[in-house]
Order: sequence, then structure tokens, then C-alpha cells
Amino acid sequence: MYEHISKNRAKTVFIIIGFVIFITMVGFALGFYLDYRYGMSSNYSILFMVFALIIAIIMSFSSYYYSDKIVLGITGAKPVSREENPRIYYMVEGLSIAAGLPMPGIYMIEDNGMNAFATGRNPEHGVIVFTRGLLDNLNDQELGGVISHELSHIKNYDILLGAIIVVLVGMIAIISNIILRSFIFGGGRRRTSRSSGGGILSIIFLVLGLALLILSPIIATIIRMAISRNREFLADSTGAMISRYPAGLANALKKISQHSQVKTASNATAHLFIENPFGSKAKAAFSNIFSTHPPVEERIKRLERMSLGVGI
Amino acid sequence: MAVGVIVIIAVVAGIIILLILISAGLYNSIISLRNKVDNSWHQIDVQLRKRYDLIPNLVETVRGYAEHERETLEKVINARKMGIDAKTVKDQSEAENMITGTLKSLFALSENYPNLKADQHFLRLMEQLNGIESNIAYARQFYNDMVMRFNTRIQTFPGNIFARMFGFNSRDYFEIEEAEARGPVKVSF
Repeated sequence: MYEHISKNRAKTVFIIIGFVIFITMVGFALGFYLDYRYGMSSNYSILFMVFALIIAIIMSFSSYYYSDKIVLGITGAKPVSREENPRIYYMVEGLSIAAGLPMPGIYMIEDNGMNAFATGRNPEHGVIVFTRGLLDNLNDQELGGVISHELSHIKNYDILLGAIIVVLVGMIAIISNIILRSFIFGGGRRRTSRSSGGGILSIIFLVLGLALLILSPIIATIIRMAISRNREFLADSTGAMISRYPAGLANALKKISQHSQVKTASNATAHLFIENPFGSKAKAAFSNIFSTHPPVEERIKRLERMSLGVGI
Repeated sequence: MAVGVIVIIAVVAGIIILLILISAGLYNSIISLRNKVDNSWHQIDVQLRKRYDLIPNLVETVRGYAEHERETLEKVINARKMGIDAKTVKDQSEAENMITGTLKSLFALSENYPNLKADQHFLRLMEQLNGIESNIAYARQFYNDMVMRFNTRIQTFPGNIFARMFGFNSRDYFEIEEAEARGPVKVSF
């Protein structure tokens, strides 16, 4: 488990460095493009590169501090008070004591689908989000299993990595999209205004544009690689250690997999949820290797093995 | 000749430094585990205090409806006093088991008083006590997990050498001593 935590830290640093390098390169390319259009004497390439580097570093820092709020914002989660739902407060309080964690914040998504996720930058700022459907449809033992699973994500620092990925990788996708579009339009205008000159450079831009086009699926692959489906198995087993009742989560997963769709979930946030928020049926259409969640049957089977079939 | 001596000195110095680093790491890990045990004990304590604060309130409420059940009420109060005065883990766990037991008989007694059972204040106190009761169970689970890790560390090699050198002692588990909780459940009609 401690190995897993340090691996998560290393991945977080790796992704942030990758982000800074990418943004700096984009800045350089942009400056280089302007240099090319308005003559080499103006040093736009260096200026833009430094500027982009500063922006990237600021963005990385702010994503460390605000990624959880951004995640809560884009999934439409709202805080729940103790008076509104005392049951969930009692349960989370007890299980966070059992896990040796500070009490996390509790948020809810108004959605009838059954799903949950945890976010935050560290256990002191942990947040667990439930959908209304989950709170309404699970009994105490099943809900206890889900809470323990999410508390394990908090304990293992999966939450920091997950939230940073949402923000930084999402930002890269947006930026590369903008650049790609501006290259296509800019390229068209250039060809009409200047009929001759810069044959080699225009080829470079074409290659760069193509590279960015290829980038989007690569980004998706990075998400899947960094997330590693093992972390769901690990959170399942750590969660069972907290609740001391693996059957609770196994039964919960059986229910959740029937109806796990969440409307506010997107490709950027899908990896956070306890079960694929596009529904288990949608997953079957894609190849299993590329999905962010391990097959639910396999997870249930492992939990059943832990509990020796008691209570299932 | 001189080079050979330097190499030997360097190797010996390297081994000594490595040993120091390893033992420092081990020592620190024992200390951090011990702090975790202390902290998790504190977590139990927080929950116990909450329960101590609720009990006088509960006793007063019950007294209002069931004046002549003095014996049961007194038992609860005495158990609470024992818990507050407890100094060691063993005393504390004994006292807590006693409180849990006396509270149970208090709740059983409330079955005979429909007015008491319908009292909103009493119901809220019951709900709070149930919540705290399960929190105590979870806190005890975490404490025992930490004690197990600490004890394993200082009883296995090479931690046991350190434990003897620096005088680390095994910690007590927070146990359920109650005879009822251990023995088979009796059902009578």
C-alpha cells in the first residue's frame, strides 16, 4: 500500500512535468510561427516560451490547490448537511475513524444513477461524492462497503492523481484543440496572402498539426495508463479491511452495475467513479483493455473470495 | 599499498554509514508507529468523552419517567465514574464494557415505560448514543490494528533488539471482556 502511495506521488509529479513541458513547447511553437510570419528579427519564440513556462507553472500550482473544486464543479456535486442526511454522516464518521482518516466532506449529485467518487488533494481535504440514487437504494451494509472503498482512495492518494489528471489533461485537450483549429484557419489565410516562400516551414506546421491531431488519443491512453485498473482492486480490498465486511461492497457493486449512469460524468471524469458512469453495458462495446474500470464481475469475484461467501 | 588501505577504510566506513542509516530508519518507524497507537487511543478517548457527556442527560430523562428504577440508574452512573477515573488501557476497556452493559439494561428497562419510549428527547439521546457506540467500535478496531502493527514491529527481528535497547513495551489491546459478548446468546420466552 505504501508502495502504491509513492507510485501515485511519482505519477502526479510526472504528469505535472509533462504538462509544463507540453505548454512550454506550445508557447515556443506559437512564437516560432509568429517569428515566421513577421520576420525572424522579432524574438517571439523565446518570449512566448518563457511566458508559456510561467503560465504552465502557475496552472500546475493552482491545479494542485483547486482541482478538487473544479471536479466538484463540473460534476455538479453539492454539499450535504448533517441535518439533511444524518444517516450518511453517521456512517462516514464511523468508517473514517476505522480508517484512521479525518472526516471527509460529503457531497451529493442529484442523479438517480448509482455511483460515487472521492476527490481532494490530501486526506485533510478529502471529499466523498454520492449520487442520490446510491443513497436511496443501498442498505447500510452496502453503503458501508462503498464508503470504505472511497475512503481507501483517499488513504492511497488516488484522489490527488485523479483530480490533477482531470484538470491538466483536460486542459491539454482543450489547448491542442484550439491550436489545431488555428493552424487550419491560419494556414488557409497564409496560402491566399502569400503565394510563395517558406515551403519547408509550411511542411513543419503541417507535421505539427498532424502531431497534435494524434495527441488526443495519446492523452486518453495516458489517462488509462496512469490510472491503472489495479487501483480499483486495491481500493476494494483496502475498503474491505476498513469495513471488515467484503460482502457489503460486493452486493453494492451488483446493484450499482445495474444502474451506474451519471449524466454529469464525462470522459475527463469517468476514471474517478467507483463504477463506469456510462453504464456497464456501454463498456461492453469497447475493448476491455482500454476501459478505466475492471469488469465488475471480476471485482465481485475477488470480494467474494475475501469473504469466503459469507453474507452474499 | 596506500590505495588498498584507503579502499578498505572507505568500504568499512560505507558499511558503518549504511548500518546507521538502516537503524535510524527502523528506529523512526517504531516511533512513528508508537505515535499512531497513541493517536488512535486518543480517537477512542474523544468518542468516550462524548458518551460521558450524554449519560447524565440520559439518566435524568429516564429518572423523570422511572423514578423507582434507582438501582439500574446508579449502576450506569457508577460505570461512567469508573470510566472517567480509569488510568490504564485495561481499566478503561473494562469500564467501557461495563458502561455498554449497563446502558443496555437501561434501554431494556425503557421497554416497560411506553411514555419514556415516546419521549422525543429520549429518542434523540438513544440515536446519538447508538452512533457513538458504533464510532467507539470503529475507533477500537483502528486502535487494535495499530497496536498489532506496533507489537509486531517490536517483537520481530530486528525490531526486538531496538525494543530492548530503548525500552519499548508491547501495548494492550482494547478487548471486549463482557461475558455476554463472548458466550452464546441466550434466548428466553
